Amino acid sequence: MTQAEIKLCSLLLQEHFGEIVEKIGVHLIRTGSQPLRVIAHDTGTSLDQVKKALCVLIQHNLVIYQVHKRGVVEYEAQCSRVLRMLRYPRYIYTAKTLYSDTGELIVEELLLNGKMAMSAVVKKVADRLTETMEDGKTMDYAEVSNTFVRLADTHFVQRCPLVPATENSDPGPPPPAPTLVINEKDMYLVPKLSLIGKGKRRRSSDEDATGEPKAKRPKHTTDNKEPIPDDGIYWQANLDRFHQHFRDQGIVSAVANRMDQTSSEIVRTMLRMSEITTSSSAPFTQPLSSNEIFRSLPVGYNISKQVLDQYLTLLADDPLEFVGKSGDSGGGMYVINLHKALGSLATATLESVVQERFGSRCARIFRLVLQKKHLEQKQVEDFAMIPAKEAKDMLYKMLSENFISLQEIPKTPDHAPSRTFYLYTVNILSAARMLLHRCYKSVANLIERRQFETKENKRLLEKSQRVEAIIASMQATGAEEAQLQEIEEMITAPERQQLETLKRNVNKLDACEIQVDETIFLLESYIESTVKRQ
Amino acid sequence: MAGNKGRGRAAYTFNIEAVGFSRGEKLPDVVLKPPPLFPDTDYKPVPLKTGEGEDYVLALKQELRETVKRMPYFVETHEEKQDIERYSKRYMKVYKEEWIPDWRRLPRELMPRKKCKKGPKSEKAKDTGKGTSLTNTADVLKKIEELEKRGDGEKSDEENEEKEGSKEKSKEGDDDEDDNAAEQEEYDEEEQEEENDYINSYFEDGDDFGADSDDNMDEATY
Repeated sequence: MTQAEIKLCSLLLQEHFGEIVEKIGVHLIRTGSQPLRVIAHDTGTSLDQVKKALCVLIQHNLVIYQVHKRGVVEYEAQCSRVLRMLRYPRYIYTAKTLYSDTGELIVEELLLNGKMAMSAVVKKVADRLTETMEDGKTMDYAEVSNTFVRLADTHFVQRCPLVPATENSDPGPPPPAPTLVINEKDMYLVPKLSLIGKGKRRRSSDEDATGEPKAKRPKHTTDNKEPIPDDGIYWQANLDRFHQHFRDQGIVSAVANRMDQTSSEIVRTMLRMSEITTSSSAPFTQPLSSNEIFRSLPVGYNISKQVLDQYLTLLADDPLEFVGKSGDSGGGMYVINLHKALGSLATATLESVVQERFGSRCARIFRLVLQKKHLEQKQVEDFAMIPAKEAKDMLYKMLSENFISLQEIPKTPDHAPSRTFYLYTVNILSAARMLLHRCYKSVANLIERRQFETKENKRLLEKSQRVEAIIASMQATGAEEAQLQEIEEMITAPERQQLETLKRNVNKLDACEIQVDETIFLLESYIESTVKRQ
Repeated sequence: MAGNKGRGRAAYTFNIEAVGFSRGEKLPDVVLKPPPLFPDTDYKPVPLKTGEGEDYVLALKQELRETVKRMPYFVETHEEKQDIERYSKRYMKVYKEEWIPDWRRLPRELMPRKKCKKGPKSEKAKDTGKGTSLTNTADVLKKIEELEKRGDGEKSDEENEEKEGSKEKSKEGDDDEDDNAAEQEEYDEEEQEEENDYINSYFEDGDDFGADSDDNMDEATY
């Protein structure tokens, strides 16, 4: 793992789980697979804390364990999975757009807890939804269950590998760690539970409107001692399916930008039809006939068959090659070239970065070299119609930042520089990797800056929180306007200004992180898809 | 073969025209240090995307950041004692739900091992006086012997070495040598015990029990 990735993982782990878990996690990412004692020894943390940290990390699918010979269990961190933590808000928002609030909360609970049993999820989500509803209304478990089943049917949530049922005839000591297995067919199988009940609202005497916890709250004992019906069956969010959805979204919006709304709807329909039949890593979808597409178009779209055919032909002839024609039966068989589409998206990202960083003339040269594959210095100047000096300057700038690379073609076997062609070329895969690395660095910088800003103003933030708490409690007990005014004035005007600035900055930095993550997703998908095909 | 044609004169080994410099032209300066840490950018970045969706995701992100701090998975680091005890700190402590992992899914070595089988009440009583501790230690000694006998049957290689190591080690109330083959208590008890000041591995195998394992008040009066 590169330094930038490790730094980003460290920041994410620290924000989500605290410093102890971060220390253990980063150590595992750096050094690979290690047993428990070595981790404790190398990091200098107590065994208890290492155990706790590992439990947390395994629960969240960030660390896996393997039993080696002689009963030694080794733990390995999944760096790429740690980086996914940046994308959690996007997953939750996607669930909201597809399955509304219920789906949103289900996915949120699953992401926050790593893995959960279905009954636990349903209960918690019902409780949460009930609290947001008006007084007197409650959320039924059945409704939440239905949404859960729908999420499982569309593969957005999946079962975790199970502990195999051991027979007691097994002699000898039990293994040091269970080997978890999962059957492909069972991964989305929802157990038959009859979850009957309604969400519970927290009683108002317990509830704190201000969020101030009472000093001596009794400790929570587990509420239900009855065994839950689906014991041992845990569910987790299926991130690959979400990625597939993001990829489809990216392709559809690209088509919409390039052509028009109708063609993007056609592409969306084609992608929807291939969701189940095509695996997420396939280079292109299964062929779909034009008749099928016509039948599956959304109800609102009443375009005639001929118009559909025209659109399909237009899409297939487009130089970007998002859609390809693979045959003539059934009115024309069409496929979506997923790999090519991802390549186009990654290339567009690279072009955009060059344009914003170096200017539009550099972008022209970049697009030229992309199109012509290999060009000499002189040819670049001629084709781009840019004076030699400037062209040379721009090429070297891009070369130094590794967007463009040099390809040597020797004329003689001794590779003498005076008798060698030097051609400029763009290697998309390596440029994408370089850009991805920069993105990781950017996000790490953004997080660090945000933490710095928050720390700088910590005193002010705490003060404002306390004042808000006081105001809220006074409002609850009924206070006069004048008193509230007095309390509010505890924060002076310049302090208010400072708080405003802080809030604006933090929002901006957060928004930046989210958008850089979108680029990260694109580049990662492209790199993954290319590497798989090699 | 490389040719001494230059005979000490500066000459390029390749055609300088090929890289775009004409002969005799002043070459750009050699860069002798790494690029600046915060370089100036010629072009300002493009403004961020705005919209309902983006705002919602932003709000989600900020909420998530606050929520994860309150989850039981967020392992707090033990803060050093502050010089002044703030009254408000008592009222601002966040009470977290306990989380008990499903031990069937995890390697056995991750389960915390209990050294002493005392409940939290008897541990609290220990603080009030050494007298009570003396009566309890006798019980604990017996218990530990029992456990040792039972534990001998199940040991693996690692744990054997571990036990020997712990016997030699002087008692320091160290958490490291937790791994005796003690019976595995319920995790609940461990969680509850952590709330107080007592270190879990208070009693070590083969160490001296008695007054001097308790508070060190006696040792001071020489």
